Amino acid sequence: MRKVLSMMVFLSLLFGLLAAGVVSAEEPVKLKFVSLAWQKQSIEANKEIVKEWNEEHPGVQVEYIQGTWGSIYDYMITAFETETVPDVFHFESAEIVGFAQKGYLTDLSKYMSDDLKNDIVEEAWKTTKTNGEGVYGVPFLWESQITLYNKDLFKEAGIQPATPADPWSWGELREAAVRLTKDTNGDGNIDQWGAGLGLKSPAKKFLRLSVGFGGKFFEKNDSGNYVVKVNQPEKRLMIHHKAMLYDEKTAPISGIGQSGSSMIPGFLAGKYAMIPNVGVWARQQVVVNASDDFNWGVIPPIKADTQDQGVGTQTLSIPSDSKNKPEAMQFIEFFLSTKNMARLAKGDWMLPTRKSTMELPEFTNAGNGWDVALKSAENLIAGPWQSIPGFTEWKNRVGNPIFQLYLKDEIDLKRASEQLERDGNRVLERYYD
Amino acid sequence: MYENRMVGDKTIDQIKLLLPAFIPVLILSVFPLLRGIFLGFTDYTLGTEANFNGIENYVYMMQDSYFWQSFKVGFLWTIAVTGGQVLLGLGLALLLNGKILFRSWARVLVLIPWAMPPVIRGIMWKFMYHPDTGAINYFLMKLNIIDQPIDFLFSFDYVLPSIIIVGIWGGLPQAAITILAGLQSISEDLYEAGSLDGTSKLQAFRYITLPLLAPIITAITILRFIWNFNSFGLVYVLTQGGPAGLTRIPSLLAYEEGFRYGNLGYAAALGNVMVLVVAVFMFVYLRNRMKNY
Amino acid sequence: MNSRNIIGSILRHFLLLLYLLFLAFPLFWMFSISLKPISEIRSLVPTMFPKKIVFQHYINAFQEQQIFESVLNSTKVGLIAAVGVIVIAVPAAYALGRYRTKLNKGVIGWVLVSQLFPAILIIIPLFLILKSLGMIDSHLGLSLLYIVWTLPFVLMMLQGYVQGIPIELEEAAAVDGASRFQIIWRIVLPLLLPGISATALFAFISAWNEFFFALVLIKSPELLTLPVKLARFTGMEGVVRLGPLAAASFIATIPALILFGFLQKWLVSGLTKGAVKY
Repeated sequence: MRKVLSMMVFLSLLFGLLAAGVVSAEEPVKLKFVSLAWQKQSIEANKEIVKEWNEEHPGVQVEYIQGTWGSIYDYMITAFETETVPDVFHFESAEIVGFAQKGYLTDLSKYMSDDLKNDIVEEAWKTTKTNGEGVYGVPFLWESQITLYNKDLFKEAGIQPATPADPWSWGELREAAVRLTKDTNGDGNIDQWGAGLGLKSPAKKFLRLSVGFGGKFFEKNDSGNYVVKVNQPEKRLMIHHKAMLYDEKTAPISGIGQSGSSMIPGFLAGKYAMIPNVGVWARQQVVVNASDDFNWGVIPPIKADTQDQGVGTQTLSIPSDSKNKPEAMQFIEFFLSTKNMARLAKGDWMLPTRKSTMELPEFTNAGNGWDVALKSAENLIAGPWQSIPGFTEWKNRVGNPIFQLYLKDEIDLKRASEQLERDGNRVLERYYD
Repeated sequence: MYENRMVGDKTIDQIKLLLPAFIPVLILSVFPLLRGIFLGFTDYTLGTEANFNGIENYVYMMQDSYFWQSFKVGFLWTIAVTGGQVLLGLGLALLLNGKILFRSWARVLVLIPWAMPPVIRGIMWKFMYHPDTGAINYFLMKLNIIDQPIDFLFSFDYVLPSIIIVGIWGGLPQAAITILAGLQSISEDLYEAGSLDGTSKLQAFRYITLPLLAPIITAITILRFIWNFNSFGLVYVLTQGGPAGLTRIPSLLAYEEGFRYGNLGYAAALGNVMVLVVAVFMFVYLRNRMKNY
Repeated sequence: MNSRNIIGSILRHFLLLLYLLFLAFPLFWMFSISLKPISEIRSLVPTMFPKKIVFQHYINAFQEQQIFESVLNSTKVGLIAAVGVIVIAVPAAYALGRYRTKLNKGVIGWVLVSQLFPAILIIIPLFLILKSLGMIDSHLGLSLLYIVWTLPFVLMMLQGYVQGIPIELEEAAAVDGASRFQIIWRIVLPLLLPGISATALFAFISAWNEFFFALVLIKSPELLTLPVKLARFTGMEGVVRLGPLAAASFIATIPALILFGFLQKWLVSGLTKGAVKY
């Protein structure tokens, strides 16, 4: 025993010394690229493109770093503060606007080619500009909210699914859900729900979908600062959800705690006939997990007053502290070329932002709901919440909790609206001095 | 000569030997602590300079509903977890001290939660509570207690009890082992003397075991209280403070303020208030312990 | 009387079994999930034992999720911390164990106080100090922190071992004309080795398990230690991730489990000492 322990001490001393030693070598320009790809195909696509770049550009070598959505905000905040930034990072528009306002990001407009500038859809660009000045990220992926449906259960209930030419209103969606909700084995419990509403993080979903009702949630007051306003247009989507959960009982309450994608196993098992308003990327989960005889389809965005949906974009940005900005921009241009963007969009099952990419046959001809999904890109408009300082804190601390309390029927609509405004303004105030 | 060295420059010698340990402690422990307390009285945010602003942070805190919610949850959590750890720990210690089969095996198995990194403890219980693959839902449904799986860590009603159980689970072994050590230090003679007087087992426990264990139980109750009040990793992994802030214990709130939203001054102020709470218990504990030195 | 004893004994064993189930079952459950094929994890009805055992998640965890990188990071940080803390703690423990001066009370007092402060209070200034030293997001900075952070307990443990070494040996050496340094190096250190090993182990495991400091200080994905990496993992969506997460988590417990089992006897007695004495 004593011998073993002494050995351990010796070994640990040895390893400790080895580990502490620093190895260094001369290198070409090195770029650090933090990616947030998380689906398997998408990670592969990312890595392949980086590899191709590195082969073609021996003088500028890109190191691929795998980040995660849950931690990127904390990571970047610290990185900016300690000036140990990556040269290119992947994030989303609503968040980088805040970074840009603090001066952490490079204005890309002077580095960028006209080709890229003109080929990306205007609404997508809008998401990464602050008050019209400067471009702080290149928007490359975005998503609309579509509805997945089980073809067999629709046929059984005799329901015709909506098409891009003839979209459903919220009323029609609710009606279909009622007809699809059944107690198939007669034990008094519902075992086939019309809709599986995954509402774990409702704030963003509610902001996005309320746009179709004209709901904005944020307004500028007299002094030019944003305040939260919950009026009739903002309330309508909330009311629809509550009706489905409690009055018509077409969606299980357990869904309030689940994310959209975690409803997919239930969808595949026939427990939910529809998964309304999930991001287009959720199709991937269906394709990968469904058995061959599972028939499913995609219903285009539900029509409120319009089919419009507010949207944010996934972006690539360059921190101000990067020492290799031109090279970093070149890499972004390469990474987001027409063909490469197609690979990224396919890998993540999201919509591309380049017009030339959307026109590629691999999207227009593809199955798996790509036609409906691509078409829905026309309904996307830059979310009104994009350029609001403190939006992230509002979303986490006010939006999500209060929407949840409302959905759980712990508070009524009046109280929810009041709290959204009161607590929300308290948070936003901290960002104005 | 040796005598001289041992007695003569005792303190100097000691200081020399302590120095290598003293300097890092000074730089990375004493100084940060004092500076941390000071930062609690500034408006420091990430990317700006710290300006002294008196008690402004505390005035804001008094109106901050997140602060009140958080400390309320913090106390509930701390009291329930500490109580559970000590009481269940006492029960386990008594069992392990008695005549049982495979005693040494049991003593090892019982330590399992203790060996785990706190993050893994959280992950393990995420698997236990998972609505689809969780063991707890599986058993409850098998026993027909529920007919729909419950997402325990996301349910407004169940989330706090759920994480409290995990908290108890994690600290129970250490509490039990400490109490067991105390039990073993009680001399058998006392019980023999007791049995001659015809005391029952229950009476022996009440009049011999408990009084002799009291100092140890007090010590671990205080220590556990402080540790549980300060705990972070477990709850962070299980719920990140959600849903709707129902499990946002004080250290989570302070972390959020400081490192998510960049309000470092306010976060330090929250830390100061936590210290104040802990200080009361710390005082009692330190007084007891220092007596022995 | 006899039958009452038997009933009592059965009851005791039954209670103990409940305790053991409560304490050990979660580990079993995670282990079981880590061996199930994806289809079995995804099915809405869980199974107690895997119907089919696959090691795919362990392979996945290492190949795709850069777990291996984190294992190396954690090992490196743990080793630097363990070695560092021993180097500075041995002289200090000797000083505390062999001399009795006013300093002792002060040191012990500090050691106790520092353990009881909320980490959040100390991490903010530490963040600033390490930032000015350029040691944010660096393994060295994190290791330094662990050295200071484990020092109190390490000091306590080592001091006990020092006191366990008979002073007569040192006195004999002193009579032969050995200097203080020689005495420590030649006489005390060899006798202290078992204690040092055990303590180094403690320091290693503490660093290996630590979460909060690593969460705040290490941000680059390629530098993350294992606990932070795994905590990130849980935030990700989708059932597909559960298998690799379980596998990687199980891997993360192995060092602690092995070493723990190994030293179980010693740890129990050591803590006993700690609890009763200090």
